[in-house]
Amino acid sequence: MKGFNLTGDKKEFLPGEEVTVTASWNLDTSPKSVEARLFWFTRGKGAEDVNVIETKRLDAPRAIDTRPVRFVLPEAPYSFSGKLISLIWAIELVAAPAGEAERFELTLSPTGQEIVLGQPPVSPAP
Amino acid sequence: MRARDNPFSTDRVLRVRYRLDGTTWPELMSRLAALDYRAAIVGPHGSGKTTLLEDVAPRIAALGYRVKMLLLNENHPSFERDLLTRFYAELHPRDIILFDGAEQLGTLAWQLFRFKTRRAVGLIITTHSPGRLATLIQCRTSPELLGRIACEILGSETTAPEIESLFTRNRGNLREALRELYDVYAAQ
Repeated sequence: MKGFNLTGDKKEFLPGEEVTVTASWNLDTSPKSVEARLFWFTRGKGAEDVNVIETKRLDAPRAIDTRPVRFVLPEAPYSFSGKLISLIWAIELVAAPAGEAERFELTLSPTGQEIVLGQPPVSPAP
Repeated sequence: MRARDNPFSTDRVLRVRYRLDGTTWPELMSRLAALDYRAAIVGPHGSGKTTLLEDVAPRIAALGYRVKMLLLNENHPSFERDLLTRFYAELHPRDIILFDGAEQLGTLAWQLFRFKTRRAVGLIITTHSPGRLATLIQCRTSPELLGRIACEILGSETTAPEIESLFTRNRGNLREALRELYDVYAAQ
């Protein structure tokens, strides 16, 4: 199928853990560049906040290609949700010049699960 | 409901684009050209002026003009002096300035701004009241429009509750009405 794809074996991670995703794309022509970005963003009632933590350029991308992409997650901030704001971690694949993007959302927390504000904490992962 | 799941989160609301009523994009762009690209989008708070200005921008760019954006609002009611000095110095005869929140400038500041930006080929502003430039379009809201937007966000099969009272309570300000709907869903 035409387009971009980002897949990973798991979506829940501990602080400092390595994330490996597989980036693949199927295009008519070779993109000028492809970048993978590790970032977090907020979603909710107010203005959105975005912070790109690391960018990896995938060299010499072909029209049809598959690449592994690895990031080491930082210690914080944790993935969380309240009623007013959620903080969401993601890896995004962005191609130039088309600007097409594909997103893989993940969870970063000491429990491996999103922290839901106002609920009792879940026991930390072993 | 978690913020990330709220159908009225900011990112979802911002995906709703301006709905022209009684005109079409070709007609609006023709009128803009007839006004020499010096015109005002007029309307009260929360009536879609900013959204419409954002939707005009790519159509201006497609005509080969350079789009220069400026924004003032109640939280940032004036420009930094250096910013405007640089802005004036960099103006090009192919530039069309899109100025959101022109009502924030006082009368003298507005006159000075018009003089300093005369080199630009166009100036399109949003403002709450007519009079600063010829009116391109008057943005209006209605309970029906609010209902259609809420349905678009929620899905075509769903109707948000109490649209009439929501509209009245927020004095026709659709942005505030949609924020109130966020709170309704957040409480679920």
